[in-house]
Amino acid sequence: MSGQSQTRRLSWAPFAAIPLLLLATAALQARIDVRTRSEAAQKEDLLLRSGPLARKLSLGYDALLADIYWTRAVQYYGSRIGTPHENFELLGPLLDISTTLDPQLIVAYRFGAIFLSEPKPIGAGRTDLAVNLVQRGIDANPDQWLLNYDLGFLYYWRLKDYPKAAEVYAAGGRKPHAPLIMTRMAARVAEKGGSIETSRMIFLELYESSKDRNVRKAAMKELRALKAQEDEEHLDEIIQQYRKRFGHYPASTKEMVAAGLLPGVPVDTVGFPYIIGPDGKSHLNPDSPVEPEPEP
Amino acid sequence: MSAMPGVVAINTFREAVRDRVLYNLIFFALMMMGAAIFVGQISIGIDRLVIVNLGLSAISLFGLVMAVFVGVGLVYKEIEKRTLYSLLAKPIRRWEFLAGKYAGLVLTLLVNTSLMTLGLAGALYYVGRPFVRSDVSILIAIYFILLELALITALALFFSCFSSPMLSTLFTLGIYMTGTFANDIRSFGDFTKNHVIQVGTRVVYYILPNFHNFNAIATAGHGGSVPFALVWQNTLYAALYVTLLLVAASAIFSRRNLK
Repeated sequence: MSGQSQTRRLSWAPFAAIPLLLLATAALQARIDVRTRSEAAQKEDLLLRSGPLARKLSLGYDALLADIYWTRAVQYYGSRIGTPHENFELLGPLLDISTTLDPQLIVAYRFGAIFLSEPKPIGAGRTDLAVNLVQRGIDANPDQWLLNYDLGFLYYWRLKDYPKAAEVYAAGGRKPHAPLIMTRMAARVAEKGGSIETSRMIFLELYESSKDRNVRKAAMKELRALKAQEDEEHLDEIIQQYRKRFGHYPASTKEMVAAGLLPGVPVDTVGFPYIIGPDGKSHLNPDSPVEPEPEP
Repeated sequence: MSAMPGVVAINTFREAVRDRVLYNLIFFALMMMGAAIFVGQISIGIDRLVIVNLGLSAISLFGLVMAVFVGVGLVYKEIEKRTLYSLLAKPIRRWEFLAGKYAGLVLTLLVNTSLMTLGLAGALYYVGRPFVRSDVSILIAIYFILLELALITALALFFSCFSSPMLSTLFTLGIYMTGTFANDIRSFGDFTKNHVIQVGTRVVYYILPNFHNFNAIATAGHGGSVPFALVWQNTLYAALYVTLLLVAASAIFSRRNLK
């Protein structure tokens, strides 16, 4: 009987040992991680930087590998966004590999261009790489007018190359299923490139056509900034009228209202009143969340 | 032709089920569920694409593993366990035995692939994607995977007729990998100015089974259309190649001294 119970105890021993051994290995791994984490951070690199080679080595599973690389690009971008010292060095190669593995991965061209072109610390600040990426997308997907829309935007907003932007929009407008707005944008950019009116048209179209929350949010931010820019230009004209009449600049917009030059205190899109600087120029209220357009 | 190949096929299928070969479906189901739940959280704009690409790649990869590792043991196990002797003592010819074994494994792969297809449809339904007309391309991609698996099974069976499972696995996987690079082999030859190399690579290109033909995963992922001509051409190509391999396997196996 005692022999039997001893055997039973022995047969249970491995089951008791398994969780203990697992705990021990986990603890050991945690210690190894502490030692190797900083090294891993320093050595972070892409082992494979060639898209065509990755495609060959994928043994036919290139579509799945493209999804994995695209997810890695998103993670890479997400982990660095908002950190000014980051240079987004691997973002370009990651996007190149993703789109070489799957040239029809439209989402990688579209969002990749945003990641690359946004100024630091929101993006890599590499509009040149973004233009190359979207151009490759257009070459691989000649029927996708949306890529022309993105490329036109890059030329218009980031590079301020209005003739080129108009040309790209016009080319997109000739593609199958392209909406009429592409042709309208081409004409508007060719005629009045860089005007607030044209920029508003482009961002309004971006806001209305995009389903992505972040893109819509960014477009709304630009629309608010453009509205503020337009208001400031209008206010600056009235400030000059005030100066002609009273010989000095107004200290606030309330004085302009009192002088009968404004029907009420002008506010920005979120309700903050504009302020007037000593130089006689109107500005956004420092407390306002609306961000002004960067100086060209 | 007797009913014996059918009997062998059914028994091969039962044996595979008894060997718990279909347990890979559990892993497949867990993977699809995980992808359906988590992909949206870690990536942008590719929820549906990942489900389709991952599902089709897994169907192909699991099928490949099953076709190779079960296929190379089809004949060897019967010899090793000496069950082949009692089988061949019955009124069954050797080629009928091989045809039955082959059909049994293809049936197993068909059942496995069909169940995985249902799992893939379930995952797509979970991510809230309505089924549309272009999903036919997903079914065509799965059909191409089945053709590919049928071809790999024939290769594995062919090698298992005259070599050990280890060598058969190496030969089959080697030819599979070389077959996926078939187009590159031809291109390498074309790059050179050497006429002999050009002819040599052309010959290799046409002799090797071209597995590149059967890859329609990316097209299916993007909802593209697969030309009907490619469907029947691939079907005929696989049928011809499988016939060739089974005839060769029968010829070798019929002459093999089993004593």
